[in-house]
Amino acid sequence: MSKKISRRKFLVRGSLGTLGVLAVGTYLFRNPLRRTLIETIDATLPSYSGTGTEATLWFELTKENKVIFHSPKVEMGQGSFTSFAQMIAEELDVSLDQIVIQAAATETGIVDGLSTGGSLSIATFWKPLRELAATMREMLKMLAAQKLGVAANSLSTKDGIISGGGKTLTYAAVAEGVTEWPELDEVPEPRSSGFKHIGKPVQRVDLGPKVFGEPIFGMDAEIPGMLHAAIIRPSAIGAKLKSVDTETASKMPGVVQVVKMEEWVGIVAQSYPQALAAKMKMKVEWDIPKVWTNEDLQEILQVGKGDRLASQKEGDALDPASEDVMTMEFRSPIGAHAQLEPNAAVADYKDGKVTVILSTQVIGITQKMVADAMDLELENVNIVPTYLGGGFGRRLNTSHAIQACELSKAVGKPVKYVFTRKEEFQNDQFRPPTHHIMHGRLGEDGYLDSLEHHYASGDVSFNSVLLPNFLNNALGTDVGAIRGANIMYHKIPNYHTVQWHLTLPFATSWWRSLGLLANTFAVESFVDEMALKAKKDPVDFRLKRLDDSPNAKRIRKVIETAVEKSGYVDEVVDGRAMGLAASIDTGTPAAHVAEVSIKDGNIIVHKVTCAVDCGLAVNPDQVRAQCEGAIIMGMSGALYEKMELKDGALTPTIYGPYKMALMRHAPKEIDIHLVQGVDIPMPVGEPPMGPIGAAIGNAVRRLTGKRLTELPINLEKLEA
Amino acid sequence: MKISFILNGQPQTVDVDGNVPLLWVIRDMLDLKGTKFGCGKAACGACTIHVNDEAVRSCSYAAKYAEGQKITTIEGLGSESDPHPVQQAWMEEIVPQCGYCQPGFIMATAALLNKNPNPSDEEIDQNIVNVCRCATYYRMRKAIHRAAEIQNNA
Amino acid sequence: MKIRITYLTLLVLLVTGLSVASYPEEDFRLPEKQVPSTEEDSPDDESLIAFNKMMDVLTHQRCLNCHPSDNIPKQGEDSHPHRFDITRANASGAATNCNTCHQASNNDFSGVPGAPDWALAPHSMRWEGLSRVEIATSMMNRANNGNRSAEDIMHHLTEHELVLWAWEPGMDVAGNPRELPPVSKEDYIAAVKKWIELGAIIPQE
Repeated sequence: MSKKISRRKFLVRGSLGTLGVLAVGTYLFRNPLRRTLIETIDATLPSYSGTGTEATLWFELTKENKVIFHSPKVEMGQGSFTSFAQMIAEELDVSLDQIVIQAAATETGIVDGLSTGGSLSIATFWKPLRELAATMREMLKMLAAQKLGVAANSLSTKDGIISGGGKTLTYAAVAEGVTEWPELDEVPEPRSSGFKHIGKPVQRVDLGPKVFGEPIFGMDAEIPGMLHAAIIRPSAIGAKLKSVDTETASKMPGVVQVVKMEEWVGIVAQSYPQALAAKMKMKVEWDIPKVWTNEDLQEILQVGKGDRLASQKEGDALDPASEDVMTMEFRSPIGAHAQLEPNAAVADYKDGKVTVILSTQVIGITQKMVADAMDLELENVNIVPTYLGGGFGRRLNTSHAIQACELSKAVGKPVKYVFTRKEEFQNDQFRPPTHHIMHGRLGEDGYLDSLEHHYASGDVSFNSVLLPNFLNNALGTDVGAIRGANIMYHKIPNYHTVQWHLTLPFATSWWRSLGLLANTFAVESFVDEMALKAKKDPVDFRLKRLDDSPNAKRIRKVIETAVEKSGYVDEVVDGRAMGLAASIDTGTPAAHVAEVSIKDGNIIVHKVTCAVDCGLAVNPDQVRAQCEGAIIMGMSGALYEKMELKDGALTPTIYGPYKMALMRHAPKEIDIHLVQGVDIPMPVGEPPMGPIGAAIGNAVRRLTGKRLTELPINLEKLEA
Repeated sequence: MKISFILNGQPQTVDVDGNVPLLWVIRDMLDLKGTKFGCGKAACGACTIHVNDEAVRSCSYAAKYAEGQKITTIEGLGSESDPHPVQQAWMEEIVPQCGYCQPGFIMATAALLNKNPNPSDEEIDQNIVNVCRCATYYRMRKAIHRAAEIQNNA
Repeated sequence: MKIRITYLTLLVLLVTGLSVASYPEEDFRLPEKQVPSTEEDSPDDESLIAFNKMMDVLTHQRCLNCHPSDNIPKQGEDSHPHRFDITRANASGAATNCNTCHQASNNDFSGVPGAPDWALAPHSMRWEGLSRVEIATSMMNRANNGNRSAEDIMHHLTEHELVLWAWEPGMDVAGNPRELPPVSKEDYIAAVKKWIELGAIIPQE
């Protein structure tokens, strides 16, 4: 399909569905956070002196022939900036070191209207970003043709240089003085093979800054003259501010102002330790309408309560009372994001305008939230995203930007508000706890005849800023909680999946892979148990019930690959057992074999073999990194992590008591196999997390003869 | 109070309440942002620096103790043109993902290799107890062994 | 002067005697139970009262947490294992040791406790799980206590800042004050001195 490109505004209508401007302008991204970067660029790359006032900006060309890409997606560790650079280099014919990637601010570029998340950055940018880069290349060639007086189609491009007719021009030289860009009749088709950069394991573009400690994170942001703030929020769920004695705190050294709002109290001081010290002296009383307990939660969180939302209904339903039906229950706890960079925001509210610098996955939504809360027009709110010190879904709600704005407005100066770790743990939007009931029946052939997954979960996409509830209702399910819940073995004659949506007293939301870890734990543990009951080979037991759909073929392939590469055997050898599990999430199937032993009552994961089909890997090394990270983070969730309710508050509030995987827990061997079943990039940040809990549990089942049914799994639960 | 110390090879004097954690002095007064605030409770290790070449968690280290000490932060460990063996190994193994915890890990590893040039896996487990949420531990272990190799061959 | 130097060396050994990573079980010997030299004197009661008062403190978790029997330091009022699986091997750890986090004084910002010479008691001085009599017996045994005389012990128990930290334990990680030992510092010091003065008589179980 041909896409028309308008000349006047240099607009490119790409499959992104947004309008982009190809601009050659000043490097206008001058927030103080980036000063190191800017100084470097200023020192080495004196820019063009264009106006740089374009509202939307994709690429900039500098005099030194570098390309700055203003990315609508943020970099939170997933490596997408690196892959973007590879995709741009491929089509724009520049070398990787000629590309600078910069998260776009609302004022300077296009920001993603929804979020960076869902493992979708590369998958969704695959086509439009390459089209955009190819468009820019062709436009440059057309300009060069005019300047060189040769035909555009006789020109070739390489490393940012256009050659033809024995002459060469750098892109920068081509663009010099250009005020109006030529028109392209069609968006050029990006290359589909013979890649120079795509598919290569190139180094991350952010490697240097991250290894040498450059100030690239929201936490590192500064605005000249800023003050520092701490905020008092309630610990207990549902607590309301009753009274606060600010007397002592206001007289503490460095305290500039104590700002009392309806629901919270801010302390603005010259330095952050001063704000913290004052916070410690503040006497606050809370109204706590109800002291929530773990028992309350157990009571709420049950299959059969809340709203029933069926997502799979194939064949007949089982009668659980029937003798040939096997039933098992599974549970997973509340999970915290626990990303290492606490939330923080620097806000500068001045003359009815506000700039906020922060780590966020939702730039556009944060802009709207701030505009609404501060009663400002959208264009008067500039959200400047930075590199994220971890996302994992935590930064899909960055409403603390509002508090920073309120404080800045109150004191008339820029204010940096930093969460304490306790605040971070207690104001998280948690991974919801879940309850699962599995029913299954074997057919006469000894393979699954019926499988049912009934699960209860708190909100993931429901009540989320990302997705209006009517959409959830239209989709018939909480699209986040459902991840991994549906049964993928479609050759089972009867299979049903039913979600019970529950309202919990605290906020729950996206956590890397959403429902996938817990759902796969329940489904794949149960399938494994049924295989044992059937006395069948666990591999064959699964493969037999996969149909011939394209996705099922890909699932089959990853299972076969993981089994083959791991040398999977269904027996305990030298005190070690292997556990197999598989899942498909956002179109990416993954299968893991975990090799496990038990030492001094602890589950030791020695090796994980992982086969994943994420299609074309733009950067295979970073795909592997995502798999390794997802496996160990998933292990952490499956073996150690758990939030609880104590004295009405979510607890623990610090690493350590919130136990997570450390170096010593990580498998010494992780063997990743990339199976390319499709020729486009598919999501990879989350899918490999799916099978890990079940894979470990399935191995433990073979070592102990017992089934662990509750995350985090540990052997104490077997003894209890 | 006035506190004088050597920071990354340069003499420094700051005037600050001596009980303030050195972390904030380094980050906000001396403007070196590579030392990270992760938990403020000495639990995550993101703020690890060296005091006389020993790993110290700066969020729990009162500024007054810095008096007369040799302090090293990630910025003083090495540079792109002259990376420390640990930084070199970290780049070779492409360890960082989000990157926030990495300076703390790199500082802890550098301290480990100062005293133990060839740590075993067990010694790594015992000594590197920082927290990485992206869970880059698998590559970190490889990078630590690689760093030992680079350092020992230097 | 020479005596003083020895005393200091011993003191340092007592609180930082960590150079030996592990101690074979057979090294740890409880001596024969000491029998009080005089049996009918009233000092006996006085000694017993002093002994119990001293032991109320020494058996408090403020003390026991760093005198573990299993090479794992403990934390908190509930004496849970030190977080992050810290063990005796970390006491001499190359990158993570006591002083990576614990400094010469409490840190109210982090809630990390601190005192001069913050360290784990050597394995020979393990008290966790021992009875009062067993603790006292071990404590007075030169084979276990770093070859200290009764007077050395008295100085350690009443003067060393790490011991006296028990009465200034600071705030915990949540910002709440840590529990104090059940006896005031003054009463404890008086009791230790009295007990040693009266012959350091260890009552029978």
